[in-house]
Amino acid sequence: MEPLKLVNVVKQYGDKTAVNQISLEVGRGEIYGLLGANGAGKTTTMRMVLGLIYPDGGEILYNGKPYHAELQQIMGYLPEERGLYPKIKVSEQIVYLARLRGMSQQDADKSLRYWLERFDVPEYYDKRIEELSKGNQQKMGFIAAIVHKPQIVILDEAFSGLDPVNVELLKATVKELRDQGTSILFSTHRMEHVEELCQRITILHKSNTVVQGNIRDIKSRYPREEVLLHTTGNVGGLDAIPGVTAVERIDRGYHIRIAAPETAQGILQKAMQETTVERFEIKEPTLNQIFIQEVGDSHE
Amino acid sequence: MNKLGTIIGFTFKNKARTKSFLITTLILALLITIGMNVPYIIKLIKGDDASKAEQIGILYGSQPVIAAELEKYAAQSGNKDYTFVKYEGTAPDQAKKDLEDGKIEGYLSFDGGEGAFPAVTFTGGEDGMGQGITSFLMPALQTVKTTVIAKDALSAEQIAALNEPVKLDTVRINAEGKTEAGGDTHREDMQKAMNYVVVYVLLILFFTSNMMTGNMIAAEVTSEKSSRIMEILITSVSPLAQMFGKVIGIFLVGIVQIAVFGVVVGANLMLPHNQDILQGYSLSISDINLPVLLYGLVFYILGYFLYAVLYAAIGSIVSRTEDLGQAVMPITMLGLASFYIGLFSITASGSMLIKVTSFIPFTAPTAMLVRIGMGTVPTWQILISLVLLLVSILFFGWLSAKIYRTGVLMYGKRPSIKELRKAMKAYKI
Repeated sequence: MEPLKLVNVVKQYGDKTAVNQISLEVGRGEIYGLLGANGAGKTTTMRMVLGLIYPDGGEILYNGKPYHAELQQIMGYLPEERGLYPKIKVSEQIVYLARLRGMSQQDADKSLRYWLERFDVPEYYDKRIEELSKGNQQKMGFIAAIVHKPQIVILDEAFSGLDPVNVELLKATVKELRDQGTSILFSTHRMEHVEELCQRITILHKSNTVVQGNIRDIKSRYPREEVLLHTTGNVGGLDAIPGVTAVERIDRGYHIRIAAPETAQGILQKAMQETTVERFEIKEPTLNQIFIQEVGDSHE
Repeated sequence: MNKLGTIIGFTFKNKARTKSFLITTLILALLITIGMNVPYIIKLIKGDDASKAEQIGILYGSQPVIAAELEKYAAQSGNKDYTFVKYEGTAPDQAKKDLEDGKIEGYLSFDGGEGAFPAVTFTGGEDGMGQGITSFLMPALQTVKTTVIAKDALSAEQIAALNEPVKLDTVRINAEGKTEAGGDTHREDMQKAMNYVVVYVLLILFFTSNMMTGNMIAAEVTSEKSSRIMEILITSVSPLAQMFGKVIGIFLVGIVQIAVFGVVVGANLMLPHNQDILQGYSLSISDINLPVLLYGLVFYILGYFLYAVLYAAIGSIVSRTEDLGQAVMPITMLGLASFYIGLFSITASGSMLIKVTSFIPFTAPTAMLVRIGMGTVPTWQILISLVLLLVSILFFGWLSAKIYRTGVLMYGKRPSIKELRKAMKAYKI
C-alpha cells in the first residue's frame, strides 16, 4: 500500500485547468521529485495532497484511504513562502505548531532541541524569526515541517535561497528522513538536487504531465548525443566524420555533438590514431537538458 | 478540544505580551486615572477659595425687606457654598468693583417694585450665572417671594407648608399585571440614575471593546494569511477550531484589559476625595441594579462573539493588512449604528425603533440593554432576543468558518461574492 497515491487528479480554477490528470505514487522511504517551470501546477498539486484545496476530479489516497482529519498529525509541510510568525520566538511557535499536530509539549520541545542541535544552531531556540537571516528562517521552517516526525512530508522549493553549505545540510537531513521510511514529495526547479535525491520524478508543463518515471529509465529514453574527448594533442578533421553535427574546442580537448550513438566509436578510433586519448565519455543527457527540451522556450 | 485550548493559550499569550497592547492599556489606564481626578485637581489648584463660600452681592436699594429675607433664607437653608453680602444704596459702583476684583460672583439688583414683587437682575462676571448659582438663587427668590407676598395673610406655618415640595409617589403596574408600590421616590430616582450610568458605561464598553478586539482579530487573521503560516495552520487543525480559538483568545485579552480598567476605576473611586464627590451626587454603588448588570454582561459577551466571527471572516478574505480598513467598514458601520441606536434611545426606551432593534441580533446587545436598564421588559422578550442572538452566533460562526476556510487561500484581488460562494461549496469545515 503506497503511503501516497494520486490518480488522475484534476484541478480547475474557473476556465483554467491548473492540474490536468496527474497520477503518481510515493513509496515508503522515497523522495519523489515534482518538477516544472513556474506556474506548471506543482504548488497546486501539493496543496491538493495536503487537503488545503480539493481536487475537481480523480482521487488522492493515503495508505489506501481518502483524506481524513487524522492525516493532519502525520503530514508535514514546508510552503514556498516560509510560513512562520515573524515576531514570535522560534521555540514558542514551533512547539505550538507541533502541538497542533498532536504532539505533547515535552515531546515537541525535545524534538525541536534535537533538530536545532542537528543544524548546529541551538542558540536560535530563544530568537525571534525576524532576527534570523532568510536562509536560517528557512531552516526553521524546515524544522517546523518535520518536528512532529511526520510520515508524509511535502517540501515546496525547500532549497531555494540557501547557501551551498546549508543545501548540503538539508539534503543530508532529507536523505536521513528517507532512510527512516518517510515519504517525501519534493518540488524544485533545480535539476541537480533531483538527480541526487530522487529515484522517480514527474515533470509538469502547463498543467500537464510531460515526463514521468524512474530517472534512469527516462534518461535511457533520450539518445546520447554528446561526446567528451580529452587528448594530449590535436585531432584534425573531427567534423568530417559522418554523423558529427558540431565540434566545439574546449580547454583540454573537444566537445562533440553527434546524431547517433554509433558515431562515437568512429570518433574514438580517429582520435587514437592521431594522438593519446586521456578521457573519452559518451555523456547521458542531464535532467536539465531533458527538462529544457520538454518544457522548451516557454520556460520563464 | 485540546487543540482549541492550545490555540486560545497561544493567541492570548502572544497578544497580551505585545508592546502595543501593553502600552495602549497603560495609557488608557493613565487617562482614566487623570480623568477621574480632574475635579479634585482643579479644586487643589483653586486652593482654599473652593472651600470658602462664594459671595453674591445684594444691591438692596429700595428693597431692604427682600434683602433681609434672602439673608435669612441663606442662613436657614444650610447652604455653605453661597452667602449674601449687602451693598448700600442703588449705585452699583462698589459692587462692580468687587466683582472685577473677584470678591463676589455677581450681584442682584431690583427694579422699582411696581407690582407685588420686583423684577430681579443678576449681574455676573465673565461666566454669567452658572449652574450652581441658578440652582441656589431660584428657590431662594421663590421662597422669599412667597414670604413677602403672603406675609400678612398667612401664618408662618402656612408659609412653611407652602414652601414644602409636593410629595409625589409612584405606583407601577408591571407587565404581569401586578402592582408594585413605588416606595421611596428618592431611592428609586437614585436607582434609575445608577441604571443610567450602568447602561451608559456598558454601551461604551461594548462599542469600544468590540471595535478594538474586532479589528485585532481581523488584523491577526490577515497577517497570518499574508505570512502564509495559515497554510500550515489549516493543514494542522480544523478552521472552526482555529477561528474560535482566536476569537476566544482575543476575547480573554479584551476581558483582561477591561478588568484592568475596572480595577483602576475602582481604586480611584476608593480615594477619599472621590468618595466625597460620589456622595455629593448621593450615588452609591449599592444602588446598582444587579439584573441589569448581569443581563448587560450576557448581551455584551454574546454580542462580542457575533461581531468577532464576522471580523475573522473579513480578515480571511483580505490578503494585505493595508486593505483591511476598507474591508471591515460594513461591520464597523453596523457596530456604530447599534451603538447610536442604544445611545439615543436611553431617554426614550419605549420607542418603536428600540423595540424592533432589540430583536435584531446585531443591535440587540445595545438595544435590549437600554430597554432592560431604562424601562421594564417582559422576561419572554428578553429570552427571545437571547435565543435569536445565540442562533445567529451559531449561524454566522458556521458561515464565517466557511468563508475563513475559503478566504485564507485566496490571494490577489478581493474575491467576488460569486467566487466565494462557489469556493465555499467545495469545503467541509
